[in-house]
Amino acid sequence: MPYLAIFYRLILRPLRNEPVRALLTALAVGLGVSVVLAIEMAGEAAAGSFQSSLEALAGKADLEVTATGGVPAEALAALATAPYNLEIRPRMEDYAAVVGTGHTVAVIGIDVLADSAGREASAEVKSVGGPESVWVGPELGKKAGDRLELVIADRVRTFTVGGVLPKEAGDAVVMDLSAAARAFDRASGKLDRILIRTPSEDRDWESVVRGLLPGGLTVSRFGARTTENRRMLEAFRWNLRVLSYIALIVGAFLIYNTISVSVVRRRPEIGILRALGATRSAVVGAFLCEAVCFGLAGAVIGVALGQVLARSAVGLVAVTVQSLYVTSRPSEISLSFFAVAFAFVLAVGVAVLSALAPSLEAAQVAPTGAMARGSREHGVRVRSLRQLGIAAVLGGMAWIASQQPPIGGKPLFGYAAALLMIAAGAFAIPSLVSVACNRGARFLGRIFGVEALLAARSLAGSLRRTSVLVGALTTAIAMTAAVGIMVGSFRETVLLWMDDRLQADLYMRPAGPISPDRHPTMAADTGDKLRALPEVEAVDEFRAYAISYNGKPVMLGGSTARIVASRARRAFLSGADPREVFNTLSSTPDTAIVSEPFSNKHGTRTGDTITLDLGGAPRKLRVLDVYHDYSSERGYIIVDRKMTLLKYLPDPAVSSIAVYLKDGVALEDGRRAVQSALAGRKVMTFSNRSLRAEAIRTFDRTFAITYALEGVAVVVAIMGIAGALLALVIDRRREFAVLRFLGGARTQVRRLVMLEAGIIGLLANAAGLALGVLLSLLLIYVINKQSFGWTIQFHWPVAVLLGALTIVYVATVLCAIFPARVAANLQPIEVLNEE
Amino acid sequence: MAIVSNDPVLRIVDVCKDYNSDGAPVRALDGVSLEVLKGEFVSLVGRSGCGKSTLLHLAGAMDFPTSGEVWLHNALTSSLDDAGLTRLRREQVGFVFQSFQLLPTLNVAENVELPLLLAGKTRVRDAALEALKEVEIEEYAARMPYQLSGGQMQRVAIARALVHKPSVVLADEPTGNLDTATGDVIFALLQRVAASGRVAVVMATHNAEAANLTDRVIRMRDGRIESVEHPAPAA
Repeated sequence: MPYLAIFYRLILRPLRNEPVRALLTALAVGLGVSVVLAIEMAGEAAAGSFQSSLEALAGKADLEVTATGGVPAEALAALATAPYNLEIRPRMEDYAAVVGTGHTVAVIGIDVLADSAGREASAEVKSVGGPESVWVGPELGKKAGDRLELVIADRVRTFTVGGVLPKEAGDAVVMDLSAAARAFDRASGKLDRILIRTPSEDRDWESVVRGLLPGGLTVSRFGARTTENRRMLEAFRWNLRVLSYIALIVGAFLIYNTISVSVVRRRPEIGILRALGATRSAVVGAFLCEAVCFGLAGAVIGVALGQVLARSAVGLVAVTVQSLYVTSRPSEISLSFFAVAFAFVLAVGVAVLSALAPSLEAAQVAPTGAMARGSREHGVRVRSLRQLGIAAVLGGMAWIASQQPPIGGKPLFGYAAALLMIAAGAFAIPSLVSVACNRGARFLGRIFGVEALLAARSLAGSLRRTSVLVGALTTAIAMTAAVGIMVGSFRETVLLWMDDRLQADLYMRPAGPISPDRHPTMAADTGDKLRALPEVEAVDEFRAYAISYNGKPVMLGGSTARIVASRARRAFLSGADPREVFNTLSSTPDTAIVSEPFSNKHGTRTGDTITLDLGGAPRKLRVLDVYHDYSSERGYIIVDRKMTLLKYLPDPAVSSIAVYLKDGVALEDGRRAVQSALAGRKVMTFSNRSLRAEAIRTFDRTFAITYALEGVAVVVAIMGIAGALLALVIDRRREFAVLRFLGGARTQVRRLVMLEAGIIGLLANAAGLALGVLLSLLLIYVINKQSFGWTIQFHWPVAVLLGALTIVYVATVLCAIFPARVAANLQPIEVLNEE
Repeated sequence: MAIVSNDPVLRIVDVCKDYNSDGAPVRALDGVSLEVLKGEFVSLVGRSGCGKSTLLHLAGAMDFPTSGEVWLHNALTSSLDDAGLTRLRREQVGFVFQSFQLLPTLNVAENVELPLLLAGKTRVRDAALEALKEVEIEEYAARMPYQLSGGQMQRVAIARALVHKPSVVLADEPTGNLDTATGDVIFALLQRVAASGRVAVVMATHNAEAANLTDRVIRMRDGRIESVEHPAPAA
């Protein structure tokens, strides 16, 4: 208890005298924690529930049977007649858009008699009657007897609501299998999967079921596909998670700074306490407790703010998940006990770790009291040379780490390299500040007057504190610049890639909802109708299947390689002539080309053979080459539609069509002709230009959250600068008073503080840009490559960088306005009387 | 022998100064009048809180009197705004403090240059070195303050107070932080500065022995001038 009293009097009470600064420090930590928490909660809500609509209604199952192109009805018969008590639930699944709202819903066809969900509602549906009756989840807001119009693939279908399902069905639409077959246009009656509940008897049921089924079908544990998707999403979530920690790292710099200031200010008090009998550990404990206070305050702020940020972030994360990964519907943001505990552990942990070094330094204060600041700072200057050496070693370690392969598909060494690089930057900053301020002081003085000379000298004189401030801002700027360069490079690469890839004049796809894991189809005769038009020169029909390869989700695509060959500009990694590759693809059965992400994820190279379960048997495909692709992170296997795909999967429906118009046909004329040929069908037509614009819009939406995260890190750093400048002014009030005695005007004092902020901003911008370029190389060539598998060409997004750096610089200078006013309004006589 | 001009560089006429302490006015100076001539060395003595420092601050254009007039180099301080006071201070006043008040981040020469730079002057190094030479410490021009002894720091502070050639140097307990021997040296230095006739020196001090060596000793008590003495010149 006595220690508590001392802690309160010497540590907590002084904080009350500087509420703005204390609040800014707690806010900085809080903001950092809130971002981490928000990304965690938003990621969980956006990605964690992607299976909800389809899986919530699946009931309990042990196994599932799937097949590329659908499970044939014979499989169901084979299972039904097996001499085991298997509970079998066949399903057809797709997505539809609700006419009027455009809302995407899961549509599930079930066997009413066999499926438990069906059994619950069958009485109702029978009472409503009619073959096109559906059950709907309560979130659709429909009641029995309502009409429901859905766009499924390229048709509008009308249903009658027979009943409302329980709450867990969300907004799903459930119908009988026969109705689903009609709605999905599946005359073949192929199922998407069969869910199986096995008897409780202990047997290897997976093998038993496999033995019952014809070849080419996949039997897996129920939920394996969800696990695959989750695993795929992990890389995305990992990267977001890592980015979200940047703000916290910046916050850590600021805690370090705050505790350092606290230690420097209280050196005489520490000396007195030590002389009065306080142990070293008591001194360390006192300062660590101060950090814990900041951590606790930060955690409270972080939890409150985290929920707000999570609500904003979930939309952005969900857009990315939907655009790039799987159809999902974000669930509610929920703040679990675990999340709250995590926030507190994180905030207090970061605060204590950041405060450790200055606290240990406080314990070294001799009982005889404190030394003058000048001699202490001299010590820092001498140490800065040693720190430069440490920076070089850390930089070397970062380079070594960057050369290491991923671990479990995650670029863990890449992340380590980034952290090491940031640490190297932090250690190099004191030398940079010292050299720049000392060498530049006279120069700045000549240009901007004595205030600039004093500002530069003062910053160099408070090297330790200045270095932490510059370090914090540098880290935030570096990450912003790095992400800016990476995203800018990626964007430019995608634009160039689209120039090569998108050669057709018009593109078509069904109006029903699509996502990377769902490929609705258009009627099989669509291509023929278009080919018959006099305006059309060629039609490239493309069919996509979401399949699984080596336990990872991939895309299988069938393209009209002959058409592509005559226009091919697709870049292959080998440098081979694309026309030759596509000609071979179109003329040789069982050949394929694979995308770069596929190649990197599965280690597949040109000349390798891949085996896929197609058409009831394993098929070996020879890989002709690997091509650059940015359309799917899952990775594509492309085969010729006629030569290979239709041979094994003879479903002629197409997922999308590229139309090449004859020379001289105006785009609008071509579009009109195409649309009138397909009148009555729900098909979306894009011009080459609008498709690119749409792709870039999706790209920009995807990276919006990345920019937002970096923005928060910069805000945290700037808040820290504001707080630290205030502390600087309070600590140096004697100097400002002396300046006023020596004839310095208020405006000169104000200018001095503003110039200090300007110099801090300038140094941080320069160091941040340099570090940012290095980090961007790491992001582009290591982290992205290992996470997602694509090659990005380096480009300088000059406008973005200039804009971001200018904004940060102006914000840094603006945040000095209040401290500058405080400094200018100090009463010199009072200040010197305090001495 | 001091060269004393007949023109007062500092004229204080019936000055009162009130401060607020916990809401109640406290009179720090009460009807003080004083004239100081160029080349004169005046000492203010009295107990702590008697008003010495307040008088110096008013004399140095750091503050306005509550009533009365302070004329500094023919300028009435109460007629000036903050900018005018600053200008007057940077041209006509040099301050010397008990605790030196050198800026720790500037070296000796830079500290001395400071008043000139704040006044917007350029090419000030020669003037700084000349001022340092006057206080016999020019060889320390490149050193940092923490590398100097207390006496050396006060010499630098005096050089800084003189560098812009003010009319009056105001020294508040300039020997208070120094040992006796060093204090004597600093006092002798101030005496020499005044004796040059270019500047008046007004010094607040507790050191009666040193005060008796100045041209005039003004004894203060409770904000008033108790007595004015003209000690006999040292033999």
